Amino acid sequence: MLEVNSLTKTYDIFDFGPVDLTVDDEVLSILGPSGSGKTTLLSLIAGIVDPDGGSISLNGDRLNGCPLQERRTGLVFQDGALFPHMTARENIGYAATDRDRIAEFASLLEITDVLDRRPPTLSGGEQQRVALARTLAADPDLLLLDEPLASLDAPIRRRLRRELHALFTSLEIPVIYVTHDQRTATALGDRTAIVRDGAIEQVGSPMTVINRPATQFVARFTGNENLFDATVVEQREDTALLRVGNIRLQATTAAAAGTTVTLCIHPSRIQVYTPNGGDDPHDENTVSGTIDRWLTEGNEYRVEVDLDDAPITLTTTIRPPSFDQLPLETGSSVRMTIPPAAIHLLS
Amino acid sequence: MLPTKSRTDVAAGRFDWLTVAFLLGAVLLCYYLVPLLALVLSQPPGVVIQRLTRPDVVSAATTSLTASVTSAAIATLFGLPLAYWLARVDGRVKTIVTAIVVLPLVLPPIVSGMVLLTVVGPNTFLGGLAAANGLQLTRSVAGIVLAQTFVASPFVVVTAKAAFESVDRSLEYASQSLGKSRLTTFRRVTLPLAWPGILAGITLAFARAIGEFGATIMLAYYPRTMPVQIWVSFTTLGLENAFPVAVILVGIAVATLVVLNVLGTNPLE
Repeated sequence: MLEVNSLTKTYDIFDFGPVDLTVDDEVLSILGPSGSGKTTLLSLIAGIVDPDGGSISLNGDRLNGCPLQERRTGLVFQDGALFPHMTARENIGYAATDRDRIAEFASLLEITDVLDRRPPTLSGGEQQRVALARTLAADPDLLLLDEPLASLDAPIRRRLRRELHALFTSLEIPVIYVTHDQRTATALGDRTAIVRDGAIEQVGSPMTVINRPATQFVARFTGNENLFDATVVEQREDTALLRVGNIRLQATTAAAAGTTVTLCIHPSRIQVYTPNGGDDPHDENTVSGTIDRWLTEGNEYRVEVDLDDAPITLTTTIRPPSFDQLPLETGSSVRMTIPPAAIHLLS
Repeated sequence: MLPTKSRTDVAAGRFDWLTVAFLLGAVLLCYYLVPLLALVLSQPPGVVIQRLTRPDVVSAATTSLTASVTSAAIATLFGLPLAYWLARVDGRVKTIVTAIVVLPLVLPPIVSGMVLLTVVGPNTFLGGLAAANGLQLTRSVAGIVLAQTFVASPFVVVTAKAAFESVDRSLEYASQSLGKSRLTTFRRVTLPLAWPGILAGITLAFARAIGEFGATIMLAYYPRTMPVQIWVSFTTLGLENAFPVAVILVGIAVATLVVLNVLGTNPLE
């Protein structure tokens, strides 16, 4: 188990921490924008940088002041940091505590046929897998990964994401995976920590940080673009009645009547209908509006709708089958249902 | 890709600046090459070879080679750690130390000789102490080595520093995080990757040492090195008698360039 307590580091233009973090034998993904301190956190844990304050301990042993080479923390760099003068096999062999296991790691990471090649002749994905094999060969007690998938093409990234999650889980050691990509963070992590300006904003399961963000920053960073101010009209059992402009919405949450809250709805949880087509939506939590614009984003459509009864634009994502059924165009009218459970309130 | 040549470039009547630039530069090229060729061709090879075997020439060549190899070795022994340190520290102290290292390169060699004499000359504390223990720091091979090391060692430091800097630090961190000590990391990661650059620096230092004249003549007129021998032959017997030794030095200079290009890291390019 990795325990980080009140860790701080001060730079000329950036203050890191204080950060508190506990990582069991699980995968913790650290998600944050560039310059938020993700790499600093890894450097501090790995021992590349000394902290100004706080403590780091691994399985009960204090790591502060312990040299890099004695920490037993495997660190996988963004670019792999493979030794260019050694073949892939020599790279792994350099680290291996047991040379007989080189073939095992090569097989596990599907790099057996590139073992005798040098890093510059390997593709980005192969380099990353060799780097990971090298780190695993050293038999670390803690695995730290600094955006190893960032430079890869999307299809390879998707495939590696799947493979890596299974691999990390099988290691039964704490794994910290740093990324600025929300999909990678939530796909790989058992838990996800969102960092901003050197501090952790929220730690939770992927579904929690996406559906129940603690702050506006976390909401935006996990794709919750729909953030609006609302007034709590009434609290009834487990349901809050909210007002946004002339729209009334029910949310399955608790809030004090009369207060102003920030309402947060993930675009993927909004259902879209055309006024004349498809199922007739319930009146509850149903709003109408006009499509302002839409664009194709990966394998889904992102549609921005100007609401009729409130001065806000609601963003929703629609999968191709639904999109094809609903002949949606800029300027056409739509009705949308927001499930009460999909409405999250930020205080 | 942009086309490298267009019609207008070769159109008649257009002034070709590139040709003019080359023709002006060619004057300088001739100025480099013609004297060298003149030196090599000025005397029949038979005569040169015959003079090469003269005892004073053999003695000067032996002294020069011994001293230069020693200087290059000393420069490497002390220069590599300094170069590594410089490559791995940041800030003001790095700028200052680098400036001190480069100082002997820009100092006129004869002034370097004077500076050294004030520290290791026969009437100084160090010179006296060494002499009392049987080691002459002037008028000796030791004096030649001191002079050569002073002027030549910056080549090792400056070139090796650049070579160490070119080794990505994350490779060293990666090695250490794999459980390897700093020494193992240096020996198996940093040194092999920086080696071509380091070797280029040692080669340059050797070439500079073997051609050293200004500081050497201040510290050790005897035993004669090749450059001093050329000077003595020229002043006492005339230019022709200085040729054989000069030919050796030209040969060493050409060999240096060959080594640097084979290493693929000519820091002068």
